[in-house]
Amino acid sequence: MFGGVHSPEALPSPEALIEVARRFTPRVEAEAPTPVLLDLQGLGRRWPSPDALGRAIFAAAREKSRTARVALAATRTAALVLARGRDGLTIAAPGEEKRLLAPLPLSLLGVAPEQEELLRRFGLCTIGDLAALPAAGLAVRLGESGPRLLRLARGEDLRPFVPTPAAEGFEIILDLEWPVDGLEPLSFLFARLLDPLLASLRARGRLAAALSLELGLVDGSLHPRALRPAAPSGEPRTWRTLLLLDLEAHPPRDAIQRISLRATPTPSRAVQFSLLDPAQPSPETLAETLARLHEFTAAGRAGSMTLLDTHRPGAFALASFAPGPPRISPLRAAPFPRMALRAFRPPLPADVMFEQGAPALVVAASVRGAVLDHAGPWRTSGDWWDAAWSREEWDVALASGGVYRIYRDRLRGGCFVEGELD
Amino acid sequence: MPAHARKIALEELLRQRRLAPVGPALRGERRRSPLSTGHTGLDTRLDGGLPRGQLSEAIGPASSGRTGLSLAIASRVTSTGGLAAWLDPLDRLDPASAAAAGIEFDRLLWLRGAPGAPRATADAARVLPTLIASGIFDLVVLDLAGVPAMELQRLPTSTWIRVQRALEGKDVALLLLATQHVAKSPQGVKLAFEAATARFEGTHPGRLLVSLRAAVRPGPLALRGEGIELPAVRPQR
Repeated sequence: MFGGVHSPEALPSPEALIEVARRFTPRVEAEAPTPVLLDLQGLGRRWPSPDALGRAIFAAAREKSRTARVALAATRTAALVLARGRDGLTIAAPGEEKRLLAPLPLSLLGVAPEQEELLRRFGLCTIGDLAALPAAGLAVRLGESGPRLLRLARGEDLRPFVPTPAAEGFEIILDLEWPVDGLEPLSFLFARLLDPLLASLRARGRLAAALSLELGLVDGSLHPRALRPAAPSGEPRTWRTLLLLDLEAHPPRDAIQRISLRATPTPSRAVQFSLLDPAQPSPETLAETLARLHEFTAAGRAGSMTLLDTHRPGAFALASFAPGPPRISPLRAAPFPRMALRAFRPPLPADVMFEQGAPALVVAASVRGAVLDHAGPWRTSGDWWDAAWSREEWDVALASGGVYRIYRDRLRGGCFVEGELD
Repeated sequence: MPAHARKIALEELLRQRRLAPVGPALRGERRRSPLSTGHTGLDTRLDGGLPRGQLSEAIGPASSGRTGLSLAIASRVTSTGGLAAWLDPLDRLDPASAAAAGIEFDRLLWLRGAPGAPRATADAARVLPTLIASGIFDLVVLDLAGVPAMELQRLPTSTWIRVQRALEGKDVALLLLATQHVAKSPQGVKLAFEAATARFEGTHPGRLLVSLRAAVRPGPLALRGEGIELPAVRPQR
């Protein structure tokens, strides 16, 4: 026998009905917060009659939702549809499902809207109307979905019950007898906490994708920290280093009285390395290295550069550094040295003297000299719909040495040295 | 040859500074090939390129081609599956130039100094041993070109000793970009760039900057410089 629990109104928490169901049986199927399906096989010893069991489930569900509906039936399809379609408690005796399902609307079967409209045009409004039709005729008119709908309408199951595993909590808490101040004693405490926490994860074939640390301080406040490295890890040493480096950058303001660590589990990764490609760094080493560079990473000033899809000069973004597998192509031409721009950020304001429209003298903070030769101007503009820019650029070789890119801002006025060509 | 005679011969070679910069590999010693600069002539003069486990430097005045050559080395590293780090206290690296050099962006870690930060160079020097010791990078570039000499002198004297210690036994090559000599390992190379000549072609208004003609001397005692032509990044319009 199966039980269906459904709440038409919003639940106090997404897990509310699942918690109710797990009070009665560990075998619970829940693809969404509602409805929830219970496998009630084997509960006969504890609950002498389906009525008593149904009333108990109904009472527990009503504690969570005032409009909760409960249905007990021999098939999972019937239990789910009856729970969604009938108020209160419904207990369908074996063989009675078809009669109880008959008056309910077709939409409860999960029929697509266009198919429901088609069935309505056939004159079918209720599940009973559909269940009374012959399978062959439905297959001719609706294709392969016809017999499938017919089985659902008769309360038959299309697939077996698949229990949803209970969410596992990986949390460990340590209340200290004496407050701890400083990172060195914390290192030992972290080792004591992380070893069993990560061992329990590894025993289930999981790794920690993230770690939440909550330090209870002597002054009564909390010092929460969250770590999410580029790759999950199950190594206590790596996590301990990451935690200590994070606390070094963000130290608690008082001594520590309580430590709570909660891991976010993720399945273990399976990586196929290549024999021919260069060895790649382990994710743990990479995460540790980036954590040690927190002066740059915390300020968002370290990572992989990416060019933005715009013609605006100097537009780029910085993404987190997570090197993927190498893309080595033997057909690719070997790189050779090219001229590069050494940008000034922000560009240096400059006084530029023009002669016949061409720059003749450049004077800026660290760049000055008569122009020996130049190329340009190159006129570019864009983003007129947003932060518009428009400029004239020149590449100039100065008598004092050096080749620079200068530009004149045509919208705001003024000349600037964008960078040195090196 | 008896041991004391070998010792005397070795001391004589040391006195005359005639020891080869890279000797034969010792038993159990693992040596990986040097990092190619992407310029055949220069690689030949450098016995293959930048040595690993050593501090090398590329020094020269503005627009001498230091950055272009360094980007080519980084590009070579990233395109062969290696990882590179670019430590940039003055935040001068241009992503468009890096893209033109062929760098695989996801294999280059760019560490940018904060604009106008008074301790940007000191911060960069402090994290340098961390990058080296991590052992995950094949090339680390520290861009000190344009840093005032006064600021470089303010770095603790132990900075480069710590860096050299961190480099020992590692497969990473460290390249220092600077205007003047800053530091170098005994077996590192010193690429001394001379002022480059800008080559313009055509007549105004269609005149173009075509390339920089740079010359680099691979080592302080090199009599002859190696000419390098660095084509312009700007697309020909």
